Amino acid sequence: MILASVALAQRALRVTLRRPQFLAPLLIFPSLLLAVNTGGLSQATSLPGFWEQYGVTAPYPSFFEFQLAAAMSQSLLLGGVATGIAVALELEMGFFDRLVAAPIPRASIVLGRLLAAGAIALVQLSWFVSLSLIFGSGIADGIPGLIEVYLIGAIAGIGFAGIGVTLALRAGNASTVQSIFPLVFVVLFLSSAFFPPNLLTSPADLIAKWNPLSYIANGLRAPIIGASGTSDVLEGFAAAIGLALFFGLLATWSLRVRLQSK
Amino acid sequence: MSNERTNDRGVVPALARRALNELLRVPGAAVPGILAPTIFMLGLSAVFGNVTALPGFDGLDKYMAFVLPVGLLQGAGFTGAATGVNMARDIEQGWFDRLLLAPVRRPVLLAGIVASAALRTLIPATALICVGLLFGVKFPGFLDLLIVALLVMIVASASACWGAIIALRFRTQQAAPLMQIGSFMAVLFTAAYAPMALLQPWLKAIATVNPVNYVLTGVRQGFIGSVSWADTWPAFVAGAGLLALLATFAIRGMSRTSD
Amino acid sequence: MAAIKASGLERTFKGGIKAVRGIDIEVAEGEIYGFLGPNGAGKTTTVRMLVTLLKPTGGNAVVAGFDVAHDASQVRRRIGVALQEAALDPLMTGRELIILQATLQGMIKAEGRERSAELLERVGLINASDRRVGGYSGGMKRRLDLAMALVHSPSVLFLDEPTTGLDPTSRFAIWDEVDRLRREGTTVFLTTQYLEEADQMADRVGIIADGLIVAEGTPEALKAESGAPHIEVVLDQGSSAEAAERSLAPLGEPIPAGEGHDVAIRLSDSATGVADAVRLLDESGLSVAEIELVRPSLDDVFMEKTGRRLEGAATAADEQ
Repeated sequence: MILASVALAQRALRVTLRRPQFLAPLLIFPSLLLAVNTGGLSQATSLPGFWEQYGVTAPYPSFFEFQLAAAMSQSLLLGGVATGIAVALELEMGFFDRLVAAPIPRASIVLGRLLAAGAIALVQLSWFVSLSLIFGSGIADGIPGLIEVYLIGAIAGIGFAGIGVTLALRAGNASTVQSIFPLVFVVLFLSSAFFPPNLLTSPADLIAKWNPLSYIANGLRAPIIGASGTSDVLEGFAAAIGLALFFGLLATWSLRVRLQSK
Repeated sequence: MSNERTNDRGVVPALARRALNELLRVPGAAVPGILAPTIFMLGLSAVFGNVTALPGFDGLDKYMAFVLPVGLLQGAGFTGAATGVNMARDIEQGWFDRLLLAPVRRPVLLAGIVASAALRTLIPATALICVGLLFGVKFPGFLDLLIVALLVMIVASASACWGAIIALRFRTQQAAPLMQIGSFMAVLFTAAYAPMALLQPWLKAIATVNPVNYVLTGVRQGFIGSVSWADTWPAFVAGAGLLALLATFAIRGMSRTSD
Repeated sequence: MAAIKASGLERTFKGGIKAVRGIDIEVAEGEIYGFLGPNGAGKTTTVRMLVTLLKPTGGNAVVAGFDVAHDASQVRRRIGVALQEAALDPLMTGRELIILQATLQGMIKAEGRERSAELLERVGLINASDRRVGGYSGGMKRRLDLAMALVHSPSVLFLDEPTTGLDPTSRFAIWDEVDRLRREGTTVFLTTQYLEEADQMADRVGIIADGLIVAEGTPEALKAESGAPHIEVVLDQGSSAEAAERSLAPLGEPIPAGEGHDVAIRLSDSATGVADAVRLLDESGLSVAEIELVRPSLDDVFMEKTGRRLEGAATAADEQ
């Protein structure tokens, strides 16, 4: 099962990396938004209470460093949609049937995809880490902080891919999966990824408290702004792992349902 | 030749109507065009709503009034990009050959395609303004609404020309992201989120030379204050200039299709 | 005056690929010209140059009295084109499409409306005229495409593989229409993959291979040029094939017999007929069940000129 999953993950990864037009939007889109958010609203950090809840002290990080985690979260979410589309396209083209017909555990089909998404997440995260080194002051908490970012990000990436795969297996066509694209932004905007929770307007602030993305973004953010010591990192791990488990299982179950209904 | 000119009459409305068929005959076709800028506008207001406390916003109480115009231009940009994508589809499927085979001057063909984008963008614009008013953005007045409608149509046309340039160059719908990212950047690399005074120097520099920034100021004036001539004429000059430039390149691309 | 006249027409694509390497074509007014060639021979490139969609890189072409490169707009006004893909907007109805085409051709609305009714009737789509084209069959789409090409009563009509992929009934419907156009005096430039189509409909045929015209003439002349006919004989039981070959030797060389007959002889004198063969066999005391004179087909001509068979070749994908 593990061998099959790894083999399938390698295949998915190869296919993805061979098509830069697939990967590029996942990086470019959030990077552009990062640029305009930072360029337009960098003064926002002077709003009263901005840094209070993050457990950092003066000299404060920049708004760019604050926004990096938002860009990472956005990129990972888009990665989940992209994985969903890739699976849906395989379903449409019949390649999926070939996988199902192969003598491998069915669950490894889903697991392979999710592992690949985790690996792609590392590439995505590296891009934003590079940006932080070029345009900011890097990861404040150094190598241990970097490892935290990679772990939380990769696990969250697996979770988001689980959402995409579930959708693809349910819908069976790429256009339906594609149509949830705007939803990515709804989820993002209703979290504290872009702005501190206490400064969100109502009712977004209430919804953000229940949105796992808020915790994932904060978990990614803490090591970048030098707040690894806070509970944000643990909460980030918890949210990412919970998401990955829940949607990983849901995706596997969706595969079973799909195969039985055939 | 004079009879050539009379012959072209009717082509622009006919092509525009054909392009609008998609909206009228495919149920739900207008939804994505409305949804994307609406989510963006509501989302930005929800997330960044409290930045109006910063000095520079001059005591504006509703951030949504500030970002509604951004949503309007985004809607226009996406509508134009969608027109470009449709044009690429027409090229792929051979429909475009049919147009090129007609004894119609190339600029007229382009005008027909672009006109559909200008009309179509009024749908997301209307929806967006209604949502804004619903959420308490003040009614900007009919004069400003007229200015807004015209400016938004100009931006949609310019974006459609950009889409056409890309479509004619790459001849495939796969170039869609290039079309979208063009308008996306043009609209956001402006004083989209905050007044010029609050922008970081690099963004301020870009916004100063970005014609869309002047259009944005023109669209925004009535929502956050009152309409003034000083904010209106630069918007039209910048918008018209951008449109003229992109239209020139699009027409050039069109005459090159037989090369 | 010729309706189509191409002299030394050339097209080189970026990267130096020479798709068309200097061809001369002359089509008289009212003539139906069949243009044959395997995929990738330069057929579609030639047509695209003649209809002003592609600029020639060498030579020139005059269509309906105007130069395709310098007076493209005048050419477009006088030609009708039904291209291979039959690109039609699936969301529009047949009638709307014809009216749109009329507008594109510079006709006023009332005129377009009148003409659309006339053409829909003519191509047998009147009952489907207000249905969306998305629901049309392949044959209906081709007929509509043809109607659209005729909206401004062009003097020269280009049909690019009008029947490729159609069922026989739809194919015959298109053939009937082309026949009617012939009677009305329209010049038709017809590219096709089907030799039968060219043989039946074309007054003259041109064969293109590797960007050059390799043969041109009436179907009869081309077939005659391609060689003498042969006779195929089926013998009664008990008659030996060798004996038959020996007795037929004065008429010509034996060629390998195919399926369904015992002896085949290539006639050395095309004036010889079946009667001579029957007489010779009879004199040798051989009894014959069947005897047939077989004339070369366009397919044989094509094989001889291009080294390839045409019919049954891949259909959709043509050269760029």
